[in-house]
Amino acid sequence: MQINAFQVIAITLYAFIATFDMLETDLGLSKPVIAGFFAGLIMGNVTLGLAVGATLQLMILGVGTYGGASIPDYMTAALIGTVFGVLSGKGLEFAIGLAVPIGLLMVQLDVLARFSNTYFQHRADKYADEGNIKGIELMNILGMLPWGLSRAIPTFLACIFGSTIVSSIVNYFPDWLMGGLKTAGGILPVVGIAILLRFLPTKKYIAYLLIGFVLASYLKVSMVGVSIIGLALAMIEYSKISKEKAPAVSTSSSLENKENGDNTNMVLGDE
Amino acid sequence: MENTKIDYSPEKITKKDLRSVFIRWLLGGQLGWNYERMQGLPYCFSMIPVLKKLYKKPEDMKKALKVHNQFFNTNPYLAPLILGVDIAVEEKEGIKSEEAITGITTGLMGPFAGVGDTIFGVIAGTVFGSIAAYMGQDGVSAGVFIWMIYNVLRIFLTYWFIGVGYRQGVKVVSNIGGTLRNLTAAANILGLTVVGALITSVVSASVPVVFQMGKVKMSLQTDILDKIMPGLVPVGLVALVYWLLGLKKMTSVKVIWIVMLMAIVLYNLKILA
Repeated sequence: MQINAFQVIAITLYAFIATFDMLETDLGLSKPVIAGFFAGLIMGNVTLGLAVGATLQLMILGVGTYGGASIPDYMTAALIGTVFGVLSGKGLEFAIGLAVPIGLLMVQLDVLARFSNTYFQHRADKYADEGNIKGIELMNILGMLPWGLSRAIPTFLACIFGSTIVSSIVNYFPDWLMGGLKTAGGILPVVGIAILLRFLPTKKYIAYLLIGFVLASYLKVSMVGVSIIGLALAMIEYSKISKEKAPAVSTSSSLENKENGDNTNMVLGDE
Repeated sequence: MENTKIDYSPEKITKKDLRSVFIRWLLGGQLGWNYERMQGLPYCFSMIPVLKKLYKKPEDMKKALKVHNQFFNTNPYLAPLILGVDIAVEEKEGIKSEEAITGITTGLMGPFAGVGDTIFGVIAGTVFGSIAAYMGQDGVSAGVFIWMIYNVLRIFLTYWFIGVGYRQGVKVVSNIGGTLRNLTAAANILGLTVVGALITSVVSASVPVVFQMGKVKMSLQTDILDKIMPGLVPVGLVALVYWLLGLKKMTSVKVIWIVMLMAIVLYNLKILA
């Protein structure tokens, strides 16, 4: 299959807009499953796009760029993976096998974009000294360019050279590698899950992890069902700890001291 | 010629100002993100409508621009709460409160980052993400729209935050800080329940090894492992990767490369499929 000019432009624009959405409005356009859905829509194969996006989504559930950390860019991977999947006609596994490495390599461009913006920060410092408000505003807005281009340019190139790249991969990639990548696609969600377990207070609440495990693997409860049970358990816990009335709530006095310049520590937050 | 009649007194902050600060944050709160000050420049960018109203003297303005252009980084959805508190304090105290402003923003950003990243990032991402992905694997797009509808509702919630921050000022921490902390604790339970369910449903790994003794064939996966516990292989893999992530100098990206290599090797040794 061939890709037409409209599709190249639409996918590239989507990459740019989704990057803005990731940073700002967060309607979800940068989530792999949603990016895959729209890429599938543009490429005329929604089922494949959704499947590519969904598989990538499961590798990175709830994992975010907390504290400015770079994470695999499975949004761009979902776009390019869907395009390659449609162009090759080789289906889901082929698309995933290519998408995952792309997502990992894209991390470097994320770092580059974040680094490039330091330039605008320094320009903004100068404008602050001069009291140039318009200048500061412009510098913040220009920050969008490194962000957007870091995703849009690779996506554009992948679309333009897509057919050539795909056919050479199909011809030259050995079976042992494609088979291995397929297996990797199956077990990579493990990493996303393990990262979540590191982030959440797993040791404290391990009982709930076991409950969720049994619900799904022994009782075959659907994901929505598990979420509702989890919500119920969370509501029970919430009403329990709200009644206990945590003593740490009395932070107001220490904070009001801050107004007077006192250096006091805040108590709010996770321990 | 100096006009002595220039009125330097600050104007009152209105609901409209709060809205324009919010919209600036919503549309520009991370554009200028950089390694040096992170959300510092965007924070300054967002506060400009208020600064213009409060600081009429050019030298006050310069000072204010500098104070707000410092290191800042927090959860983007809870940031409006901090912006609201900041606006309330500055309206009351003016530029002489600059130390207090820095104290408040830096004092609030850490705890709010922890709470906000957990609730809006980890928990919401895991719950809505797994639902959307599950439906997506079957070619159903409803999950995608459920997630997007939640995201739209969340924008209204964050708009509400800036008003809360402004009306309550620094008391916001004692008033809703406890609630947020309890919510986070409870949300963690929801998150862990879902993650527990994900382990077996998401990971497709099986061991294709078959033992043969005379005429008796025994599949390691279906005859042995599944009898012990369904999902034994995924659980083992999660434990392994969890341990890997705890190693020094280990990053998630490195772990992904390691898992990919491991998968390729084990597939070709016919141990994993």
